[in-house]
Amino acid sequence: MSTKKARPRLSKGILEMKFMQRTKAKVDKEIEDAEGREMYSQEITQKMLNGNSNFIIEPSFMHCENLIEGRLSFRGMNPEIERLLELEQAERVANTQHEQKKEVSDKEMAKFFQAQQVTMQKKFQTKAQFKAKRNNFENTSWQSKKPKFQKPDNDSE
Amino acid sequence: MTEIVLPGDRISAAEELAKLKKVILGPGLRRENEQVVVCKAGRLNYKEPNAYWIDSYQQRYVPVRGDAVIGVVTAKAGDIFRVDIGAHEQASLSYLAFESATKKNRPDVNPGDVLYGRLIVASRDLEPELVCVNSIGKKGKLGVLTDGFVMNCSLNLARMILRENCPLLRSLTKEMPYEIAVGLNGRIWLKAKSLRETIALGNAILAAENASNEEMSKICENIGNILFT
Repeated sequence: MSTKKARPRLSKGILEMKFMQRTKAKVDKEIEDAEGREMYSQEITQKMLNGNSNFIIEPSFMHCENLIEGRLSFRGMNPEIERLLELEQAERVANTQHEQKKEVSDKEMAKFFQAQQVTMQKKFQTKAQFKAKRNNFENTSWQSKKPKFQKPDNDSE
Repeated sequence: MTEIVLPGDRISAAEELAKLKKVILGPGLRRENEQVVVCKAGRLNYKEPNAYWIDSYQQRYVPVRGDAVIGVVTAKAGDIFRVDIGAHEQASLSYLAFESATKKNRPDVNPGDVLYGRLIVASRDLEPELVCVNSIGKKGKLGVLTDGFVMNCSLNLARMILRENCPLLRSLTKEMPYEIAVGLNGRIWLKAKSLRETIALGNAILAAENASNEEMSKICENIGNILFT
């Protein structure tokens, strides 16, 4: 927006024309906004508007201290509440369940996937790639690039 | 961290941390431009990774959204109940904020009833509003509390009992079966099998305010011995 050229102030006569209605509304709104900002410029500083801070104000203790819910029942005084407490306990246990020990380690999985990749490459390789591999060419460009079409010289006919 | 701070102290640790990442300022701390200032005398607490707050002694409850509080219904007015939660203003509780309540099917709540509700609107300028349903619309653990005994305590005692590592409630359950509802507005509702047990329970909780964890278990044992011997 700062690179836009400064707009010329439109005269009252032009703004009153019918086809300029929308622009008139826009201009009026801009003037009102500017007035409002001027009125409160002493109280709302530019710094307040633009500043972004890294502070979050949290008014509740429950989240800071991880307090439990305040309604509890013990040893059967209130069966409903006890049932709800048991359900919540079960949920919490389910959430923090220990991860099962891996039967196949990460390294072995990586090796397996690599081997799989080689088999798939072999399946889709071209004749040239097959030949190159068979003859053990060190030049790997055979494997990746397709030979580019070269236009025949017009001179050598 | 058990640092005692006074109002007016600046927390430089929080200010330093704020330069790197977002810092959560809990109750008792205020932010003034880039400074973090303490506004309540008490103990500064810190929780990983970035939360700071002040734990202070206070009896007067200031409503906070999301808190579960114990209130006493004082009046019916139009479509709402007026509930006293110990704050600057009485809270309002709509008739429809109960499970399975409709316009025709009014809930069975009368002035003088004790309820356990959650604050959904709590601001300095507005009157607090309570509900007795959870976000799914189910009663959950909120609602009217029948029988039992309500007592007042300081806000920090209520919070201390509700901490995960506090052994008080668990030690008390070894002595007797009971039911308890703790409101974060400093009110505790207790219900045990007999009058003596209820009062003993109340006394145990009040005595545990300044006790360490070992002392708490001793208090509970004493209460159990006195009651049942």
